[in-house]
Amino acid sequence: MGWVGYRILPTRYLTKLDVAGFTELPVQVNGRILPMESLARNSLMLISGRQMVYLPEGKQKLAAIGWLMHLTMQPELAAQYPIFRIDNAEVLSLMGVKADGRKYFSFNELKAHIPAIEEERKKIPAETALRSVFQNQLGCLYNALDIYSQLLNLLHTGTKPSELSELELEYANWLVSIQPAREALRKWVSGEKVDQEVFQGFFDLGDKYGWISNNVYFAVIPPIERQDKWGNAGFALLNVMETGKLNPVVVDYARLVTSFREGNITTFNAMIKVIQDAIGNKAQWKKLKFEVFFDQLEPFYVSTVIYLLSFILVAISWLVPSWNLQRAAYWVLIVGFVVHSFGLGSRMYLQGRPPVTNLYASAIFIGWVGVLIGLLLERLAKHGLGTAVAAILGFATLIIAHNLGLSGEDQLGVIRAVLDSNFWLSTHVIVITMGYSGMFLGGILAIIYCLGLWFNVGKSKRETLHSMVYGTTCFSILFSFVGTMLGGIWADQSWGRFWGWDPKENGALIIVLWCAIMLHAKWGKLVYERGFMLMAVFGNVVTSWSWFGTNMLGVGLHSYGFMEKGFWVLLAFIVSQVIIIVGTGFLGNFKKT
Amino acid sequence: MHKLLNAFSSIKLTVVLLMAALLLVFFGTLDQVNYGIYEVQKKYFQSLIAFWSYPTEWPGGNFLKHLIIPLLSGGLLGALLLLNLICAHFKYFVLSWKKIGIALIHVGIVVLLVGGYLIGYFQEEFQMWLPEGKRVNFAKNIRKNELVIIDKTDPNYDTVWSIPENLLKKDKVISLPALGIEVLMDDYYENAVIVRRIDYPQGGIAKATQGSGSKVDLVVFPKAKTYKSNEDSEAAAYVTLKHRGEVLGTWLVSEDERFPPQRLDAGNHQYEIALRPERQYFLFYLELIDFKYEKYPGSEIPKSFSSEVRILNEQAKTDRNVLIYMNHPLRYEGYTFYQANFGPEETSSMLQVVKNSVWFVPYVGVWLTGVGLVVHFCVQLYVYVRRKKEKLNHAF
Repeated sequence: MGWVGYRILPTRYLTKLDVAGFTELPVQVNGRILPMESLARNSLMLISGRQMVYLPEGKQKLAAIGWLMHLTMQPELAAQYPIFRIDNAEVLSLMGVKADGRKYFSFNELKAHIPAIEEERKKIPAETALRSVFQNQLGCLYNALDIYSQLLNLLHTGTKPSELSELELEYANWLVSIQPAREALRKWVSGEKVDQEVFQGFFDLGDKYGWISNNVYFAVIPPIERQDKWGNAGFALLNVMETGKLNPVVVDYARLVTSFREGNITTFNAMIKVIQDAIGNKAQWKKLKFEVFFDQLEPFYVSTVIYLLSFILVAISWLVPSWNLQRAAYWVLIVGFVVHSFGLGSRMYLQGRPPVTNLYASAIFIGWVGVLIGLLLERLAKHGLGTAVAAILGFATLIIAHNLGLSGEDQLGVIRAVLDSNFWLSTHVIVITMGYSGMFLGGILAIIYCLGLWFNVGKSKRETLHSMVYGTTCFSILFSFVGTMLGGIWADQSWGRFWGWDPKENGALIIVLWCAIMLHAKWGKLVYERGFMLMAVFGNVVTSWSWFGTNMLGVGLHSYGFMEKGFWVLLAFIVSQVIIIVGTGFLGNFKKT
Repeated sequence: MHKLLNAFSSIKLTVVLLMAALLLVFFGTLDQVNYGIYEVQKKYFQSLIAFWSYPTEWPGGNFLKHLIIPLLSGGLLGALLLLNLICAHFKYFVLSWKKIGIALIHVGIVVLLVGGYLIGYFQEEFQMWLPEGKRVNFAKNIRKNELVIIDKTDPNYDTVWSIPENLLKKDKVISLPALGIEVLMDDYYENAVIVRRIDYPQGGIAKATQGSGSKVDLVVFPKAKTYKSNEDSEAAAYVTLKHRGEVLGTWLVSEDERFPPQRLDAGNHQYEIALRPERQYFLFYLELIDFKYEKYPGSEIPKSFSSEVRILNEQAKTDRNVLIYMNHPLRYEGYTFYQANFGPEETSSMLQVVKNSVWFVPYVGVWLTGVGLVVHFCVQLYVYVRRKKEKLNHAF
């Protein structure tokens, strides 16, 4: 409990600098307003694959927000931090670096090779299926560098450290130079002689602001009047030519940067308050504060660890029954479930949507339903089986979610038009993912059964497992079928086609068919206990095909492209299940059960 | 006879057929990567038998490409499953209230299967492009083409003579006695590239003696049909026309929208000849007033697409505006219009048009199966609780 508590200690207790205030500052990204904390974590995740920077000297750790503060306000320092993760040997050799085990590189090390990276990037084919491993990895590095360069101009328009110390001066000069430049332009157009210097400075700044306006997609400057599109500093400065007014927040941020560079804590803290007031009700501060809290708690990471702990306790309880650890495992699981639920609920509050809106969220939800059902099973059967299965499914799905989150994409992002229906998201999607949960639960119980056969576990335990899996299969066929039908109705209402033979639709149909086959085979006495359980293990293969395999084909409406690493993991998983099935089914000399 | 009934009503057969269905759906899905969803639907789900072959791009492709798996296809499989279900119900028909749930579930599934067949036959899908400000009274069937000869003599209206794609085969002769015109199909290409002879001096087929093919000196390079989802096959053909026995010439026609309309005169009439996606004409007009593409602020992610459309129906004296947007189609005159796509600069909108007189069948099937599931669950629950009560009673 203490460990959970430590994670929510606000950063304000750790330093006099109002870092907490900075974490809550709003940024508009891809149509959503999120706090700096989320931006820092998502960006670092994309660049580094993790949410911390490990500094070389003395193995110090820098939190994502600390990194972002340095990047935006002291870039010369941030350029030294080893944050760019590169695994691919070919990409490393492109930069003349030998693959000597180092995985993280700093911007300074990569700077000189950027032209080479850009050259290679032009050769990457548009179709993802045609890309080589080198090209995929290079593409990732390019994206990381792109985000890095955008973030450099998140708060200001400075491109060199010297410019950062004189931002207010630069902005003031720009404002003053607009009118004379207009005059000079008018004179030049009508053929009069003109002082080139007046032009030059104006156009240089204008070019710089134009580049920033077009290329930095993170917007910290709120709109003036009743619009909803935020802008960056470059955009706001150029906009002065039309409106005659400069949004004061631009200058406030400039002062923030200067005070940070000078180490002036009082001014920095004061400017944070000024910016908060200037933005006023254009941002929902309560939500921003909550999102920072949610980010820092990392509830899914916490529950992953707790689930693992719960499983270890159950496993020990089976090996050493006298220690009576099953109750402890059960209660640890409940703690994990509470944290998991809090995470899920927070996501719903922050997004204003039903729980499942993308693949990442589906993994979180499948785990949550699985743990809930596992807890119920534990109350019914009390062998520790329910706890074990819940812990395994919870742990595995959260690990999957974590891996899906490595892209650094905003997992609380907005929903695209075609999915924009809260009704269908809360019915079709929820019901189908519950069906997935049921299948995986049954599959895990069946694997435990197989292990039980190998380790000569007693008949009553095996029968318990058998009836549990029968229950989960009935549950799964109900939910998978209903969920699939709801999907059909949604499709019919949306584009006039109840069933389109889309790969994802086919995947769901295959799950329903497999459950039907299992049940009819059992009722028709084609399989008995062991056969039924082996079929349940195969249910894992069928479900993971439907959940992930169909996305990788690159066909149809649900396609998310070929997730390279994911393909191998999926394949390995399927092979492992087949080995368990074949091993237990054909090679074992077990009495016919 | 009895043996046959036994065989067809056995649950073992059910399991075998369900397995066959699973394999069919799986291999069909794999093949969608190469052939696209529509072709696979025809090949695997609407036919009687299909063959899946190991793709050469996969590991060991050159060696394993001879691995061909025959599969019972949707048509045959559906029929067999239906037969199996009906026979099983005849054989094991026991009027028991316990089995009502299961009976309902199976009836529901039958309705779904039958509905699938019916929709496959009766549903028609079209695309309707609406440029802003223009009135349109037709939609295109993107799967079928037609060769049209349009009588443009009268300035007030056109008479369209449409020859469907299944008649457009090489060397086929189609007579239009009312016009005195005979159409000879010299060649029909499912997909072709048309270029100018100047750019490609070698190769290609050039047969045109009239029209753009001859004036611009075009040649045709036939291609294989494409199954990629972002590419379209553009059909082309060489057509020779005869008017009252006299040869008028050979025209090159193409589905390519850049092809200009080709006019010809025959017997005091002015005609236009073209190859185009088959048109479904309506008795009303739709006019796009405004298309709105809303993105989330500061992003390119689409938030909503909507078309404000004016319906003009002279016969029914209708003239009103409607808004068509995501998840909210227009249902009018037996057709349903869905917001599907839009053109560059957001100056045109595309509606997906569906005509489906049997749309309600899957809903009936879903409802029946849903009720059956609930009923069965309740029955099972009741039986379970009663059994537990009995056990407790016996214990005392």
